[in-house]
Amino acid sequence: MENLNEVEILIVEDNPLDAEMALRALKKNKLTNKVLVVGDGEEALDFVFARGKFDERSRQSRPKIILLDLKLPKIDGLDVLKEIKSHPETKVIPVIMLTSSKEESDLVKSYQLGVNSYIVKPVDFDKFVDAIREIGFYWLLLNQQKR
Amino acid sequence: MNRIVIRLGIFLLALIASPAILVEASSHMQEPDTIRTVLLGAEPDYPPYCLLDENGKPVGFAVDLFRAAAEAVHLNVKVKLGPWVSLKKDLAEGAIEALPIVGRTPEREVLYDFTIPYIQLHGAIFVRRDNQDIHSLADLKNKEILVMKGDVADEFVRRERISDRIYTTTTFDEAFTKLAAGEGDAVITQRIIGLKIMERLNLQTVVPLKAPLPEFRQEFCFAVQKGNEALLAQLNEGLSIVMANGTYKAIHQKWFGPAFQEHFTKADLLKVVLWIFVPLLVVLSLLWIVLLRKEVGKRTRHLNEEIIEHKKTWRVLQEQQSRLKESEEQIRLLLNSTAEGIYGTDTRGNCTFINQSALKALGYEDRSQVIGRNMHKLIHHTKTDGSYYETAACDIRRAFSSGTGIHNEDDVFWRADGSCFPTEFFSYPIHKNEEIVGLVVTFWDITERKRSERELLALKANLEIEVAQRTAELEEKVQKLDKSQRALLYMVEDLNQVSKEVNEERRKLELSNKELDAFTYSVSHDLRAPLRAINGYSDFLLEDYADKLDDEGKRFLRVIQNNASKMDRLITDMLNLSRISRAEMRMSKVDMGKVAKSIFQELASRKEQEQFVLEISAMPEIACDYSLIKQVWQNLIGNALKYSEKSGVKKIEIGSWEEGGEQVFFIRDYGAGFNPKYQDKLFGVFQRLHTEKEFKGTGVGLAIVQRIVSRHGGQVWAKSELQEGATFYFSLNGA
Repeated sequence: MENLNEVEILIVEDNPLDAEMALRALKKNKLTNKVLVVGDGEEALDFVFARGKFDERSRQSRPKIILLDLKLPKIDGLDVLKEIKSHPETKVIPVIMLTSSKEESDLVKSYQLGVNSYIVKPVDFDKFVDAIREIGFYWLLLNQQKR
Repeated sequence: MNRIVIRLGIFLLALIASPAILVEASSHMQEPDTIRTVLLGAEPDYPPYCLLDENGKPVGFAVDLFRAAAEAVHLNVKVKLGPWVSLKKDLAEGAIEALPIVGRTPEREVLYDFTIPYIQLHGAIFVRRDNQDIHSLADLKNKEILVMKGDVADEFVRRERISDRIYTTTTFDEAFTKLAAGEGDAVITQRIIGLKIMERLNLQTVVPLKAPLPEFRQEFCFAVQKGNEALLAQLNEGLSIVMANGTYKAIHQKWFGPAFQEHFTKADLLKVVLWIFVPLLVVLSLLWIVLLRKEVGKRTRHLNEEIIEHKKTWRVLQEQQSRLKESEEQIRLLLNSTAEGIYGTDTRGNCTFINQSALKALGYEDRSQVIGRNMHKLIHHTKTDGSYYETAACDIRRAFSSGTGIHNEDDVFWRADGSCFPTEFFSYPIHKNEEIVGLVVTFWDITERKRSERELLALKANLEIEVAQRTAELEEKVQKLDKSQRALLYMVEDLNQVSKEVNEERRKLELSNKELDAFTYSVSHDLRAPLRAINGYSDFLLEDYADKLDDEGKRFLRVIQNNASKMDRLITDMLNLSRISRAEMRMSKVDMGKVAKSIFQELASRKEQEQFVLEISAMPEIACDYSLIKQVWQNLIGNALKYSEKSGVKKIEIGSWEEGGEQVFFIRDYGAGFNPKYQDKLFGVFQRLHTEKEFKGTGVGLAIVQRIVSRHGGQVWAKSELQEGATFYFSLNGA
């Protein structure tokens, strides 16, 4: 992960097992783009806005997609989403919510803040892979020209 | 001729002598044992009727005649002297008993009783000799007329409205003296009296008019106090006697006609007759006849005139009388038609008139029973309390002394039969010429009024008692109310306390609900992550190390994956159940038939849709939460499909009916059914009547059904036998 400017997919996930499964799902779908995993909301925002430990990164290079867990240490997933979607430079980055629960209030809030998609992480791994495939194709391949 | 003269002389002599003889005779008549004395009022200056002789003794034609008449019926006469006005008053009040000469007029008939008339006098107008413009009664209009106060002329000029300017004097002398001195234009009084006064006062400048006054012709009588019938009868009798026996003539001649005073001897008489009188008489007779003829003619004319005049007067009188009768009739009708009792008394309190209402109220049949009676003694003799009522203290008579009306509404009058009644009366004095001559009493029988007053008082007393009672009752009620109000206040305080506590509880509940929410959230999020890892990593193992695992190893991994999935379902159902309990209800009208059908189509696989017979009978729309009711049908239809899996009959019936204001829905299948023994456990959470191997499930579905129905205020129940299918019912009241 030497060149942070090449990161195309940012995964924000505090559970390393979930993060690994997400990476595996991407791999199974042949989505071989550069992926960076960060463990909390603060790190995620530092990366997006090129600050903190990511201050050397060029702010011009933005990830093609952000997979954001809802429940995160330090800064919560919804706050991260809100921050990203309230800045004109970053709000164009597609953000996909990954969550364990189908809690309606989370869903409503996410869409109010401008989330692009919403995936409930299924227990069944195969179903997760299916979901990643659909989202990934859409946002990474079909939506590429937004760059 | 001689015989005639002699007879004439004898007649004249007899005429002169007879009164003396009669007086002599009557004065010697035997006097009765008790001689009553009549108090007669007389004026000192009313010549020739009443005057004083040189000794100061009251004499005169009227006084002498009264004495004679009184003597004839054995009455002594005592004379009280006074001016005319005061004498009239005295008689009215009973201070004297009689007056010797009173003109009978309608005004006076009310006040006095009159004897038969004994003289008729004509009035005359006296003017100054130099008068030019007064020739008859008609000329007196607007002239100043002098009359003596209370004289017949006074009444006459006022009654006939001769003039507006009438001046009264106390005596006749004053009137004539004033006229002679140039005051006033005329004096009206009796001709004879006027002449006598002029003679006495030697008034040369005053003369009577020749024109007669037919309207002012007056009959004079003795007058007694009204109602003094005994005296009246005696005086009438006396008058009759003196008129019959010649005394009257004698007295009349004494005061009016000059008496023959000559004395003749028979010889002288003869001589005179023969030598002087006979030839003279012949001549005179002849002359006389001529004169007589002339005189007769003149007299006849005069008489005719007088007759005409008399007829005129008669007509006038008749007219007046009929008018008088008419107005009397009207007054009588008026008096008798009024409801009030009305009666009048004279100054002594004797009844002078009474109307029909009064007679009736007092219990008399005829006026004659009351007229002339003393009304105080007749109807007012006893007080309300039964004590004797002094005439002097009589409240009705108080009008005499006060001179104004008296009103009393708390008195009693006594009836003819001895009973009495409460009365209200007014007593008014009757004024005549500024004197009180009697009373008019108006009264009502107020028995009814008194009775209603008493009833009213009784009613008032009752009312007061009732008011007191009611007040007491009310006070009691108020007290009770006070108590209950206090109790209510305590209750309200308690309620406030309770509501505070409830609020506190609710706050706590809300808090714990939030905690529950947080718990649910973390359960759904955190419990799933390990499951995902278990499942996911088992998958990795199977994929990455498939060649190193034998079949048994692979089976173990699948068991692990299955259990992780089952655990996930359990968590999902549990979260669902908890959400159902907390979710807000949104009521709307829902078509149950439509919902049931679409759920069936959603849940049943294509194969099942071909296999199953679905019968949905008509169901009404019902008010409920659509998303929750959908879950009910999902669970019930899902169960029906699931438990019919191994059954030969694949049929689902859905329907409803109304019962006791609620709508009952049912769903019937012909599947596995259940043992009714465990019916109670059917709707418990995680309760299952079949093994996982027989039918899959978490045991949450029916618990969800029950919670939703119960949140709608309904009930859920089921009937079944093992292997005979099951029917589930639920009721809703939101029709």
